[in-house]
Amino acid sequence: MKGTVRIALCATSIALLSGCDSGPPTPEQLAALKPADARLAAMYEHSCKACHATPGSGAPLVHDHGAWDPRWAKGLGVLRDHAIVGFQAMPAGGQCAVCTPADYEKLIRFMADQEDK
Amino acid sequence: MKISRRAALFAAGAGAVVVGAGAVGISVAEYDPPEPAAPPATDAQGHVVWRNWSGIRHSYPQSRIAPASEDELAHRLKTSPAPVRAVGAGHSFMPLVPTNGTLLSLDAMSGVTAVEGDQATVWAGTRLGDLGPALASHGRAMANLPDINKQSLGGALGTATHGTGKHLRAIHGDVTALRLATVDGNIVECSKDKNPDLFDAARVSLGSLGIIVQARLTTIPSRRLHRRVWLESFEETLAAAEQRWSTHRNFEFYAVPFTGLAANITHDETNEPARPRGPETDSQFLEALKALRNLFSFSNTVRKAAARVLLASSQANPEEAVDDGWKLLSTERPVRFNEMEFHLPADAQLAALREVVETIERERHDIFFPIEARRIAPDDAWLSPFQGGPRGSIAVHTYYKDEYEFLFQLIEPILRRHGGRPHWGKLNSLRGADFAAMYPKWKDFLDLRRSLDPDGRLLNDYLRGIFLS
Repeated sequence: MKGTVRIALCATSIALLSGCDSGPPTPEQLAALKPADARLAAMYEHSCKACHATPGSGAPLVHDHGAWDPRWAKGLGVLRDHAIVGFQAMPAGGQCAVCTPADYEKLIRFMADQEDK
Repeated sequence: MKISRRAALFAAGAGAVVVGAGAVGISVAEYDPPEPAAPPATDAQGHVVWRNWSGIRHSYPQSRIAPASEDELAHRLKTSPAPVRAVGAGHSFMPLVPTNGTLLSLDAMSGVTAVEGDQATVWAGTRLGDLGPALASHGRAMANLPDINKQSLGGALGTATHGTGKHLRAIHGDVTALRLATVDGNIVECSKDKNPDLFDAARVSLGSLGIIVQARLTTIPSRRLHRRVWLESFEETLAAAEQRWSTHRNFEFYAVPFTGLAANITHDETNEPARPRGPETDSQFLEALKALRNLFSFSNTVRKAAARVLLASSQANPEEAVDDGWKLLSTERPVRFNEMEFHLPADAQLAALREVVETIERERHDIFFPIEARRIAPDDAWLSPFQGGPRGSIAVHTYYKDEYEFLFQLIEPILRRHGGRPHWGKLNSLRGADFAAMYPKWKDFLDLRRSLDPDGRLLNDYLRGIFLS
């Protein structure tokens, strides 16, 4: 959650809620992006996409480096464990009942646009 | 909360007050309790933890399965380690899912398989958020939807999940046939004409009779709805609520404690051109209510006065939107919470709600979530909370980082005294004997359950407690 003051300033100064971050993917990109691997893509579309491709959901949007880079800096292991046990607005498991820890790592790499790391 | 654009106005006003209070005020207003302690990601055997959406239930299943066909499901149901518990979005606050045996996902059995006339056949793993557009592509729609779109159809049916509308039934009320996988490895069909007892029992059955694989649903022509959201005094809302339930397709309201106000939401059919809602803003409304809690919980009078000043401008600006029903009735709920909801006889609802609000404002100054009131038409499923007559629901939410035990001590006694039945997926402390006294067909359900699953392969500890005690 963001601070109330920052929300207030954001809400009032940008025609009420058009968003404070800059440079996220376009709606068309958000709708189209998915992992290349079919099995992983199915997991992403069934679970992650509902929040991570929805502006305003509070979740870092897929391939949005402005949102993901500070999180990526915490380390993949930290992000994986947050995904598994839940953290802040992120529900445990991210709505995926059959994802393994390795699946979460791959999904995080994809969403953070760090698949080559 | 579906408060929308007023959230921005409210947040802006709250921000102004906080800025006026200086840096200390900002710090206090922005205080967020620490993240609740999480269980380890894996247990000693390396099994990965499962937790529900709010985080208060967890287990370490030794097996996780996601069958892709009825045959595979029937086979796995017979052979997988017990207890076998199905999971959808994990939105239940009661321990319906936790199992150290097998966690079963129906995510691979999802989608609409057929639409004939007003009947749609749907895989039980379909998420409600996906069902809306899938039906719309056939020109059809669900008559009603709950306010969260993440649940699977099977989970929504199994727990008697509902929306609001005096003449609209819960989702299971529109089911006309089911296909059920049973623990002996068979697929059983049921409807009003075929295995009618099983049909009446299985529509709301907590995954305890078998696994609902597929449901046939009565749908309606897809129509646009006109959504209107506005604030007014809580007393005005109470006085007008029955009339609004009678005249609007969907009506619900949220009593906003410590403000003297209520947020009213109506939906009515329209042929107007679409005017979409825009981005979700309810999180900001909640953030502002939390800031008011953080700043003014020392005095109800000051808190109420501050809230009413801040909300004055938004009272003059109701939210309006026009869009397909599935886009308006059911939405994301990004702020996690825990919840108790009881379904009361309709004529007891408003008096009970007034008592709940008074109790919270007297006893629990830490609460800031609005309290939801909805109305649901009756149906005849054996364990439906809406069996026997119309019900009015009261739902009390608490932020997921806040304490929720008070719900059992302060709120549940009020809701029970007014004749309430608990939502099957939401917090309650009732046991088997309590349910036996509430549901005329309780014993018939137990007998049927025993005949279908004599070894209790589908029962976890919680379900054993209520069905075998």
